[in-house]
Amino acid sequence: MRLRDNNVFRFWSFVGIPLMIIIIACFHQGGYYTHLINTFGIYIILVASLNLVNGFSGMFSMGHAAFMAIGAYVSAYFTLPTDIKYSFLPGLPHWLKDIQLPFLAAMLLGSIAAMLVALVVGFCVLRMKGHYLSVATLGLIVIVRSVLDNQDSITNGARGITGLPDHAVTWTIFFVAVVVMYILHRTIRSGFGRELIAIRDDTVAARTMGINVTKYRVLIFAMSAFFAGAGGALWGHLQSVISGKFYYYDMSFKIVQTSIIGGVYTLSGSIVGSLFMTFVPEFLSPLESGLQIFGVQLPEMYGLSNLIMAAFLVVLIIFRRQGLVGYSENIVNSIFSPDVYKAAVSPKEYKKLLGIIASKFTRLLHKKDNKS
Amino acid sequence: MSIEYIISQLINGLRLGSVYAMVAIGYSIVYGILRLINFAHGDILTVGAYTALTLMVAFGYPLWLVIILSIIISVAMGLLIERVAYRPLRNAREETTLVSSLAVSAFLQNLITMVFSEQRKAFQLPDWLTEIHTYGIVKLSTMNIIIFATTIFLLIFLSIIMKKTRIGMAMRACSDNQRAAALMGININVVVAVAFMIGSALAGLAGIMLAGEYKTVDPAMGFAPGLKAFVAAVLGGIGSLGGAVLGGFILGIAEMAFAGLLPTSITPYRDAMVFVLLILVLLVKPNGILGSDEGGRS
Amino acid sequence: MKTTMKVISLTVASIMALSLAACGGSGSGTASSGDTLKVGALYNLTGGQASLDKPSYNGFKMAADEINAAGGIDGKMIEVVSYDGKTDQTTCANNAKKMIDVDNVLIVAGFSDSNYALAAGQICQQKSVPFITSGATLQTIPDQVGDYAFLAPFGDDIQAYACADFMLDDMNAKTCYLLTDMSMEFTKTLAECFEERFLAGGGEIILKDTYMNKDPDFSAQIDRFLAEAPDVDFLFISGVPDDAGVVVKQFRDKGVTLPIISGDGYDTPLLMEVAGDQAYDVYVGTHTSLANPDEKVVNFVKGYNELYGNAPENAFAALGYDCMYLIADAMKRATDPTDPTAIRDALAETSGLVGVTGTVTYLNGSHVPTKSVTINKAENGEFVFQKEITPE
Repeated sequence: MRLRDNNVFRFWSFVGIPLMIIIIACFHQGGYYTHLINTFGIYIILVASLNLVNGFSGMFSMGHAAFMAIGAYVSAYFTLPTDIKYSFLPGLPHWLKDIQLPFLAAMLLGSIAAMLVALVVGFCVLRMKGHYLSVATLGLIVIVRSVLDNQDSITNGARGITGLPDHAVTWTIFFVAVVVMYILHRTIRSGFGRELIAIRDDTVAARTMGINVTKYRVLIFAMSAFFAGAGGALWGHLQSVISGKFYYYDMSFKIVQTSIIGGVYTLSGSIVGSLFMTFVPEFLSPLESGLQIFGVQLPEMYGLSNLIMAAFLVVLIIFRRQGLVGYSENIVNSIFSPDVYKAAVSPKEYKKLLGIIASKFTRLLHKKDNKS
Repeated sequence: MSIEYIISQLINGLRLGSVYAMVAIGYSIVYGILRLINFAHGDILTVGAYTALTLMVAFGYPLWLVIILSIIISVAMGLLIERVAYRPLRNAREETTLVSSLAVSAFLQNLITMVFSEQRKAFQLPDWLTEIHTYGIVKLSTMNIIIFATTIFLLIFLSIIMKKTRIGMAMRACSDNQRAAALMGININVVVAVAFMIGSALAGLAGIMLAGEYKTVDPAMGFAPGLKAFVAAVLGGIGSLGGAVLGGFILGIAEMAFAGLLPTSITPYRDAMVFVLLILVLLVKPNGILGSDEGGRS
Repeated sequence: MKTTMKVISLTVASIMALSLAACGGSGSGTASSGDTLKVGALYNLTGGQASLDKPSYNGFKMAADEINAAGGIDGKMIEVVSYDGKTDQTTCANNAKKMIDVDNVLIVAGFSDSNYALAAGQICQQKSVPFITSGATLQTIPDQVGDYAFLAPFGDDIQAYACADFMLDDMNAKTCYLLTDMSMEFTKTLAECFEERFLAGGGEIILKDTYMNKDPDFSAQIDRFLAEAPDVDFLFISGVPDDAGVVVKQFRDKGVTLPIISGDGYDTPLLMEVAGDQAYDVYVGTHTSLANPDEKVVNFVKGYNELYGNAPENAFAALGYDCMYLIADAMKRATDPTDPTAIRDALAETSGLVGVTGTVTYLNGSHVPTKSVTINKAENGEFVFQKEITPE
């Protein structure tokens, strides 16, 4: 049996160690590394919800940032302190100005708002074919941005809203992330999920089997918007400043890129992609500031990491289209499989793990023998 | 709101539209054959403009030489991109090539920024081009007239090529059904290369004209026209040359109309309204105004 | 496929290893110990904001080098820790946190855009590290963020008031056409403040119109202007450097010879380069004139040219330069230059500090400096000084 199928290995790599890191992060709120981990967590939600639309249903939506924006602003309406609302958002109705809800409730409301918009837009737009859909979803971003920038009385216009309370802490983010992943995991493995895959693989055949393609598309679009709204709410509260300019093409493209890098065919892809896109640019940034390698001082080369990432993306797409993860749903399966947890406490499983490691060792030695 | 005012806004729209149309033709040809939304198309426009700037300022070449060289370099860039970033993905899902084009676009923009600097630069064309002729309330420069005329000419010229020449027929065949065309002995790589050559040449030329019209270049100058050209191509019916041109003009007029004829309290929503218009058109005519049913790639 | 995976993972691993090694090697982690005082420079050196931020950063660095060459702060050298925000909110936030947590900078400077300044300011405020924006002019930033946030340039309100006052008092103008870039907070605030002041002074705005940043074509707006309000006394255009030359040229090309006035967004060589000889009768309310024969300005321009090979691209270069001197001055006066809060206190007491872009004083506990506004006029390819105004 391969190493990656062993349940103990799966437990520690995909559940145990990450959990420990997350718990440590929970106690270091406000720090740089915690911030990176928080960003990573939110990205998982955003990318997974995008994968739902782009990977499993055969549509290609580029409008994710719009739903994020709706989620962020609407949830902010419910979490901002009353005096900020009175000074900066005079156009809001009185009951809204006076109310202040706990974060999760506000986030839920933001998600619902995003979902409602998606339903309305979906009915119009999802009848279009492939690329027309993509353009229409781009249009959605422009429309949402126009409203955010110009309806000053309810959005404070291009100035954006500051002072969002600090609710997006690590445990909240990962709690939501796990819940979202669970819902998506079950959805994909259900009959509903199989119908989605059928639509993706061959729309015509799916129709022949009696599947109402448009209805499914709208449902998926709405579901994805719901989660995007949640992600947007978390994002807004993490940054504590929201403005139309932060939820524009760049944001959408970045999420699309992340999902492609991780792999559009699996949920695990969203985890790996987010990990990659959060941490690798940070690793690359010392290169830009002019660092010393082996005593040689390199010049400041800003923009280099953008070039490297873009080139990497092209190379990855060409040589490994299915992304870093490919088709294996190992990571997500491990997180939600009871066997994995049982194995963590059973000594028999540990023995099996040792056995695998031992056999790998001996194989290595044998290879050396064969060569010599 | 006088008739003169409306006419002048209309002329503005046609003026803007002819540039969109020129870029849209290139988009449409490439999309028609490859089903590829080429986000990097706008950046070839930028390459054309910057090449022209360098040639004029650093080398001082005469205008005709600058235009020819810039077009050649834009074409080379387009072919290079096709070969490196799109050809390996020929059989992939369409969205993959779209993302690849996004990455290429980011790469090009950053490269231009690193080489030339992120600042906007001034771009001057010879005076005889920018001289303004006045017809009543309408003011047009020589270049406006040239752009408009060139676009119409290109439309006619390319339509003839598509209908009467062998390569044109090959391109139409690929557009309908790539596999069958290949079976009939058509060299797909050549056809694709020709499509990219035409598209990139047009983009490069449009870049020079845009730069000359608005007197500036900057690394991101191609993004908006590229996107708008795509919207124009979709509006008019992607895959159809006439549609691209029609879409370009309609888009130009719509933008001007929204900016000039609506009350000023609504004009900030101009970009949004353009997209609403697009969505409405697509709802009524899902393949664009002049588009016919796309032949599927089997 | 297996080999591809191996190649990819190897590449990624080596990049990470290299970067980690470099990370450890570049001496971060310890607080400004002993000889260096770490100052954070957070700018968007790539992306849409780069045309403003890169020159700011250049000016900032140049000033730091000058200060160090002159002996530093009582012998301690300034070390500039700089990261590229990439005009991306995530990157900006990450880098702000990195600067504070990992590099232990004493103060963070940066950004020319108010949205980014607000975001960075919040992060700094939470960590009790002073934040000073070198280029963002939204005067409410300190109110919205907290007492650790400072503006180095004057606020939008002052700029706008100065422009309005100049037109009313010096040019005897009564009627105006107002064109605003609606995509940016800066331009909207500038226009609003201008309108407020102009109307209060008895002026009348005949027609208002809008555009979006980087729009190349203004014929729609120009035609509307010609049809509805061609007889105003002047035009107020609230815009940024990118659009300066383009707008002016198009208006002039269509025969509009009226005076045009704007805020510091129009203080850019691009105005003359792009509009050429159509750049006449254009007034700019700005920090100072880069063509000012004053010694400080001349030296700055000369030094910038020598260091970077080209003249300062726009006023933001000078703003970045002055910002660094502002910080250095505060550090000199601080009770303990290695304590961020002490630096903050010293900064708040800055008074009469003369820089390239004017004199900075923080009056009455405000963190927005009372700087005078210089009105320049574009004439024959140069900015000619008209007047210096300090509005009430």
